[in-house]
Amino acid sequence: MAETGTPPEQPDDGRVGISIDGRELRVPKGTLVLDAATEAGIHIPIYCAHPKMDPVAVCRMCLVNIEKFPKPQPACATVAGDGMVVRTNLPEVTKLREGMLEFLLLNHPLDCPVCDRGGECDLQDFTFRYGPGISRFPITEKVHFKKAIPLSEHIELDQERCILCWRCVRYYDEITGEKEIVLQQRGVDTLVTTFDDRQLVSKFQGNLPEVCPVGALTHRKYRFVSRPWDLQRTASVCPECSYGCNINVDSRDFEVRRFASRDNPLVDDMWLCDRGRYSFDRWNSSERVRRPVVRSDGEPRDVTVPEAITQAARRLREIADEYGAASIGVLGSSASTNEELFLLERLARQVIGTPHVDHQLDAFEGLSAAEHELGIAEIEDCDALVVLGAEPEEQAPVLTLRLYKAELKKHARVHRLSREVSAADAVAAAAGATRIGLIADETNRAHAAEIATALGGAASVRRLTITRGINGRGAKDLGLLPNVGPAYASVTQTGMTGRQILEGLAAGDMRGLLMLGPNPALDAAGDLLERAVRKAACVVAFDTRPGVVSRYATVLFPGHAIFEKAGSVTNVEGRVQRIRAGLPPASATPTETRVLTSLAVEMGAVGWGSGDPHAVNRLLRDEVTAYGDAGNGGRALFTAEAVA
Amino acid sequence: MAEYKLLTKDFGADALQTLKGYERLGGYQGLRDAFKKFTPETLVAEVKTSNIRGRGGAGFPTGMKWSFLPKDVFPRYLCCNADESEPGCFKDRYLIDESPHQLIEGLLIASYALQVNTSFIYIRGEYHDQRLLLERAVEEARAAGYIGKNILGSGFDCDVIVHGGAGAYICGEETALIESLEGLRGQPRLKPPFPAVKGLYGQPTVVNNVETLCNMPHIVQRGGEWFKSIGTEKSAGTRVFCASGHINRPGNYEMRLGTPIRELLDEECGGIWRGRSLKAFQPGGGSMQVLMPQHLDLPLDMNAVQEAGSSLGAGAMIFMDETTCLVDVSMRLVDFYRHESCGKCVPCREGTYFESELMHRLESGLATQAELASLADICSNMDGRCFCPLGDTATWFVMSAYKNFRDEFEAHCGAGRCPVRAQATALVA
Repeated sequence: MAETGTPPEQPDDGRVGISIDGRELRVPKGTLVLDAATEAGIHIPIYCAHPKMDPVAVCRMCLVNIEKFPKPQPACATVAGDGMVVRTNLPEVTKLREGMLEFLLLNHPLDCPVCDRGGECDLQDFTFRYGPGISRFPITEKVHFKKAIPLSEHIELDQERCILCWRCVRYYDEITGEKEIVLQQRGVDTLVTTFDDRQLVSKFQGNLPEVCPVGALTHRKYRFVSRPWDLQRTASVCPECSYGCNINVDSRDFEVRRFASRDNPLVDDMWLCDRGRYSFDRWNSSERVRRPVVRSDGEPRDVTVPEAITQAARRLREIADEYGAASIGVLGSSASTNEELFLLERLARQVIGTPHVDHQLDAFEGLSAAEHELGIAEIEDCDALVVLGAEPEEQAPVLTLRLYKAELKKHARVHRLSREVSAADAVAAAAGATRIGLIADETNRAHAAEIATALGGAASVRRLTITRGINGRGAKDLGLLPNVGPAYASVTQTGMTGRQILEGLAAGDMRGLLMLGPNPALDAAGDLLERAVRKAACVVAFDTRPGVVSRYATVLFPGHAIFEKAGSVTNVEGRVQRIRAGLPPASATPTETRVLTSLAVEMGAVGWGSGDPHAVNRLLRDEVTAYGDAGNGGRALFTAEAVA
Repeated sequence: MAEYKLLTKDFGADALQTLKGYERLGGYQGLRDAFKKFTPETLVAEVKTSNIRGRGGAGFPTGMKWSFLPKDVFPRYLCCNADESEPGCFKDRYLIDESPHQLIEGLLIASYALQVNTSFIYIRGEYHDQRLLLERAVEEARAAGYIGKNILGSGFDCDVIVHGGAGAYICGEETALIESLEGLRGQPRLKPPFPAVKGLYGQPTVVNNVETLCNMPHIVQRGGEWFKSIGTEKSAGTRVFCASGHINRPGNYEMRLGTPIRELLDEECGGIWRGRSLKAFQPGGGSMQVLMPQHLDLPLDMNAVQEAGSSLGAGAMIFMDETTCLVDVSMRLVDFYRHESCGKCVPCREGTYFESELMHRLESGLATQAELASLADICSNMDGRCFCPLGDTATWFVMSAYKNFRDEFEAHCGAGRCPVRAQATALVA
């Protein structure tokens, strides 16, 4: 073959070569110029583009110069072609950006001083960076619309501030599948509103103020509350359910002012539900347990932490000596961190020596590691999703958005069947699918296992089970159950369930109780909890709020709320995620892991270290291989053989 | 007579609007010929041969547009664009008023060529009477077997649906028309994908102007080569031009393409009225750049007019005499775009608003020199930057008028009133 002088063809690796402002890079075919620019470290201003939505190219901010194109092209809607030469650093581009911003500011109200968005507003930021320095001349009154319209208890709309980027309308179309916000009128009179002035009823309204690039849609609960530079931001996990949405906790003067989303494409995909997002105020109660208390003959005494530990150890030891270790019950909580639960389980089974360990009231049959095979993001890989009952989406609302995404973007079929659907009906519904995702609530796991077997005849089936509490999954993985130990290992002796422990205590058959609180599962115990703690000879408890437990505990330790400590929690799919301290603790008592460690040491344990949460985390990762492999942010997976 | 009557040959004949009247003069023979002499593929080829360009304004070669449809994707749709809203344009209304069946026959021939089984006529809401006329004609055609199943025993099925718009110029843009037809807000869509690939209901779609389709019976009956021989190399056939403004005989005139514009003005329109002289004219409707008296020698040819800096567009000729204030004309046109802007993209929505406010100040003599200078800057931030051509064309006339009549524009600054109209009043009095 003769030498032609042309370079050899690039093998088709599915990538194209593009140059942006002189920077050469290769990107996967189908990449938008906007995303290629981000990869090259070049900022292109955008309003209407959104990482989770299809491009619409209406704001015209991202117009860039591309060689061989006669007009500037929108980077958000142009696919990178092989050999494309893109320039953003030309006078033409600088001028058009100034021009677009001037146009936007023509009718935008001068609300900055009173607009909640100030300080975190794209219109402010891009005007500073790319906009005209002065306004040309006010030759006319701005077009006026209605301001401060309450669209619901959560959302306020200011029609004048709207820059008509359409994100809110598209959010409903593409993310939630609902229809609540519409455009009306035409030209400069176009406005954003609800149809027929209805109120918003979506469970996901709280994402609107984040989707809106300006202050047109704002949180009513955050109105006039703060400027972003006055907020202290802490990365954490939403505590309202087991889904594990990543959040930023924004606090000011040690009070939580709002939850903001913190995009994790593997879990929340940037969206929060309203129940979780607007629950932030719960954490601002001043009604807290602030000092350790010891009760002698029913009379409470404020004591130092060392003394409380000494008393707790002594009284538990006395009961164990007199009535046997099995007369003591240990209750962890689905609201506790993995580190706390890890230590509590050891304390229970290895130091105290009792088999009665649980974190919930009742056992739900059919517990197995197979119930957590399907990852949240893997929902999108299924061609059919089978959801049993309404509980999964009621418990974890953001699940609904992931299901809609699978339906819309991946053309999966979503079958919402009844909780008790027969195997035959389930198989009929999912007929034709080859990769099925089966989602059920933990109270329905036995039935879900049956359905999984039936569906497994014609397809591969992976299950996702919705647990309770921010760390319901972690509590199971770490063996806070009467019939399994950490990593679902078998135990030498099966113990009592939480309800049985409480009933035993209330009847006087059991004598001692060691518990971590708050424990949301005990809310369903009715007056059983009170009868149990009143009758018990010794209750050693951690709690955050005054209540039944704090009123009757023999030794009470102040607990740290979820935003006051460091640790990790595990979500429904086994993802181990870190929580961080963003608020100062309400008491001077050390964090639970340290107190539990000191208690264990006082009771004779050796080699437990200091109880520093980070050290306990490392210990936990060494001891439980799945957690070691998961690291920070990965999924802890157990083999299907690990069965209860 | 400089007119060449092809489409308009029988206009005025008895009852031409009825099926019987149309058939009496040879109507629907074109459709019969299409089935008899052509397959869909050869028919598309014939239209390509004819070199006919779209008559809606953009002038895209029709045969080429038809060939963009992907071969094996069905169903396809054909939409007749009867949304005629270009300022100065009233030819489609004329064509429908005088001979609705000619349009229907052309639509059916095109449907056969494109293998479309459901065709639409999207007619602007303001053409209320024309819509009723079309609906009646469609029912007549259906009763006669020209619309429906197995038309004329050809094995080809086609239904025709007449749909009325609701008063938006933007719905003349093909993707906005499609959106409106689907029941959504009439706003243009992102391209790609192009309608030929993904149009109405996500299917391959062709949108053609009324006049373009009216040519089809004639191309079928007399052949593409014959059609190509009329007109010029780049602009084949005839076009119906709407002449309006300061002329003695405004109206619709069907001219052979290539005829000098002067002939249209002098012979057909009787020249400028009241003994006055031409100051400027717009050759293609409200969107197109202004031309000066010397351009009257240009032929009615898309390319020639384009080289002169404007466009034949939708064929609307507006002639202006010496009493006309170009600032006033620009202001009215800019007002039109401000009213019609769909609001989707920033530069058009806010730009037409800005332009319009500026032009009102300018015409009333209140604007400063600085404001006038900024007009050009604002227009440069719109042209080529909008989502669809509406925003771009909102700048063309006013910028060309400013360039050609700079002194006139500047004389308005700080004048306290329009200096041209003040002078004109004196003239007329």
